[in-house]
Amino acid sequence: MKYAYFPGCSVEASAHEYGMSCMAVNKVLGIELVEIPDWNCCGSIDAVHAYNPELSLSLSARNFSIAEAMNMDIVTLCSACFFTLSRASKMLHEDPNLKGAVDKIINDAGLKFTGEVKVRHYLDVLINDVGPSKITENVKVPLKGLKVAPYYGCLLVRPPQVRSFDDPEHPKSMDRIIEAVGAQSLDYPDKTRCCGASLALTDESVMLEMTKDVLLSAKNMGADCIVTPCPMCHFNLDAKQKDVEGRFDLKLDMPILYFTQLMGIAFGLNPKELGLGRNVVSLKKILEKLKTPIQVAVKA
Amino acid sequence: MEQVQKSIIRNQKADSSFLVEMKKTAAGKRILDCIQCGICSGSCHARFAMDYSPMQIIKMVQLGLKDDVLSSSTIWICASCYTCTSRCPRGIDIPLIMSSLKNMAIENKVPAKIPTKPKFHKAFTEIVGKYGRMHEPQLQVKLMKKTSPSQVFKNMRLGLKMYRKGKVKITPSRVKHAKNMETIFKSAQKKEEVQK
Repeated sequence: MKYAYFPGCSVEASAHEYGMSCMAVNKVLGIELVEIPDWNCCGSIDAVHAYNPELSLSLSARNFSIAEAMNMDIVTLCSACFFTLSRASKMLHEDPNLKGAVDKIINDAGLKFTGEVKVRHYLDVLINDVGPSKITENVKVPLKGLKVAPYYGCLLVRPPQVRSFDDPEHPKSMDRIIEAVGAQSLDYPDKTRCCGASLALTDESVMLEMTKDVLLSAKNMGADCIVTPCPMCHFNLDAKQKDVEGRFDLKLDMPILYFTQLMGIAFGLNPKELGLGRNVVSLKKILEKLKTPIQVAVKA
Repeated sequence: MEQVQKSIIRNQKADSSFLVEMKKTAAGKRILDCIQCGICSGSCHARFAMDYSPMQIIKMVQLGLKDDVLSSSTIWICASCYTCTSRCPRGIDIPLIMSSLKNMAIENKVPAKIPTKPKFHKAFTEIVGKYGRMHEPQLQVKLMKKTSPSQVFKNMRLGLKMYRKGKVKITPSRVKHAKNMETIFKSAQKKEEVQK
């Protein structure tokens, strides 16, 4: 199983542990991700688009142009990159005028693209190419008794008009991963609610209100931790959790993991390789509950 | 609809070119498909922070209430979560319409209800223009001037914590083929200017 890998900007920085844990899990499952050489910003959902729509599409198109030469599906970890690239490919496919305008910009740079390359999320690869049974086969430490709230967020599954591999209202892909590693996946009402995304940078009070709803909903359902497939969601739920607690006078102490970290723990992988010390809210609580041999080399 | 009606009364002169302009954008061309069912507004997770609901904004674009739309907080609050579009019976791409409205507000230099927002879009694009990729710390720094001192302190404390956890990359990661990026930015910008 070999794919053209689009890391995206967050996975190189604030979401470093997502990339690390993914690579560690890949070794176990035999997935090969070949980085798209010299990739650039996906084009962003709205940040560049609101400033210059054609520039945003051209940024996606440069990535297509490089990836198309690799002759493999594009796979990315970031829900926002996944969505942005998928939407760009759809828009360029459906609107010949738009395609013509972007073609011109890309040709100026000496490049060519068709935009017909398939864009996929890593979770799609795990569910549909690898399969939950292969994941279960590799479990060394079943996560028995751990109650995990899957938080899907927005752009992994919405909107269905742009290529989607899961149900937009009741997604199940991450639940299946959680169950495949022996944990209990919780059903709760806010798993596809928006965390507020980049409002974290521009209108924090709105974002805190939105993130609070997600955190409380999972907490009230008795979750031991939340798992997410999106660096932006992870930042708001994890790094901003202290601010949520402060603003609303709450005690949450809710560990937020990438689903790849959860898999890595179940595979018995080295906590360093999974970046378990990098999550802002300490994972100590859940690792102690699990009594894993990984007894915690996790800095608080 | 009370708010929209107030706007109509206030704006005796609606701008009919607004709808024409919006219909030229990728998502705006379907704006007349809206049947005002309100599913978007009922589904919106950020509605509590908006002055007009998404459904009202669509109606106001149809009516040519350009000033009210471009000076609304709604267009900046939309977080592009796409719950509205997923449920819209007419399949209208509402977040992309909001994005085009932001674009118009920026170009018409309409003062934004959330002043950090236009600055965010500009800073984000500039950083990507410089490196070909996002560099999170620089975005924070560029936006700092617009935030309160207590917020700056809070952000710095979090930044330090994240740095200690290896989540901050001091040197930006950049695209090697810089010339490539430069050409794309230049010709995309030129196109924008020609269209104006």
